[in-house]
Amino acid sequence: MNNNSILIAGLIVAVLLGIAAPFLASGNPDGLESAAEKIVNLDVLDANLEEAGLEEEGTIAPSPMPDYAIPGMEKIGEIAALIIGILLVTLLSFGVGSLLKSTSKN
Amino acid sequence: MHIPDGFIPFWESAIFWVISLIFLSLSLRWASKEMNEKTVPLFTALAAGIFAIQAMNMPIPWGTSGHMVGAALTAIVFDSPWAAVLLLAMVLIVQGLFFADGGLIVMGTNIFNMGIVGGFAGYYIFKALKKTNFHVAIFIAAWAATFIASLVCAAELAIAGTFPIDLGIQFMGLYHAVIGIIEGLITVIVVGYLASARPDLVKSVKKVVLNE
Repeated sequence: MNNNSILIAGLIVAVLLGIAAPFLASGNPDGLESAAEKIVNLDVLDANLEEAGLEEEGTIAPSPMPDYAIPGMEKIGEIAALIIGILLVTLLSFGVGSLLKSTSKN
Repeated sequence: MHIPDGFIPFWESAIFWVISLIFLSLSLRWASKEMNEKTVPLFTALAAGIFAIQAMNMPIPWGTSGHMVGAALTAIVFDSPWAAVLLLAMVLIVQGLFFADGGLIVMGTNIFNMGIVGGFAGYYIFKALKKTNFHVAIFIAAWAATFIASLVCAAELAIAGTFPIDLGIQFMGLYHAVIGIIEGLITVIVVGYLASARPDLVKSVKKVVLNE
């Protein structure tokens, strides 16, 4: 495989995972969420949420596609969200990589 | 293992932002030496693939699920923990900003746990074991990277007071000891495949061969 076909193969695998994940991924809480459900100290959590100005744990930044979904679009929206995410990660890592590649030559 | 905002107070989040930004700037120095026409496509392909596979939560016992992190994989393929720091930061930035997966205040802590702890633990455990058996070393390194990162996460939550230390270590450790098996298997498959398809790109393979 040459260098460009590595990139293309990686992107194809990523997109296939992105199409499959909304159907195959487990909806159960992950390890951290599961632990939190059992053992979180609610007083400490409430104090931290108040400090951050949040109603519940999550993020202080309004996210366009929370939980890898587009509101009102169900599975198609989840696939689209993941493909948009793959595109964003691709652009960011290729951009940072290319930028540093050019500085290393100078 | 993505910590949401609300689990860790501002002061603690700030400390981990500072540590992660220092490591991130050092990872940029690594990248400015190592990025070239061979490594940029591989780095990008791995970043996209790891983002996608992190969305593939797999069921484990106790009504819980887990997904691979990919830091050990990245560090082994690039023969450098700094590659993992940079790559996981890219993935976590996109997850946190666009998908509410991991908070923004705690993003530095998540980069610390998954990128820095995962990358360094995975890399040095692989390095210590690689002369025994290449595939076993990869599996153990990837498993341990996930397991150790989860214990560090439990310790941070204990410092915050969010989790009690004993039960935090018990639950986080138990769940991630199982999730680590997923991490180990996928890492063995991907590194094994890359090492056979492009041995010139997987630097740690070359070193193993030279050492023998």
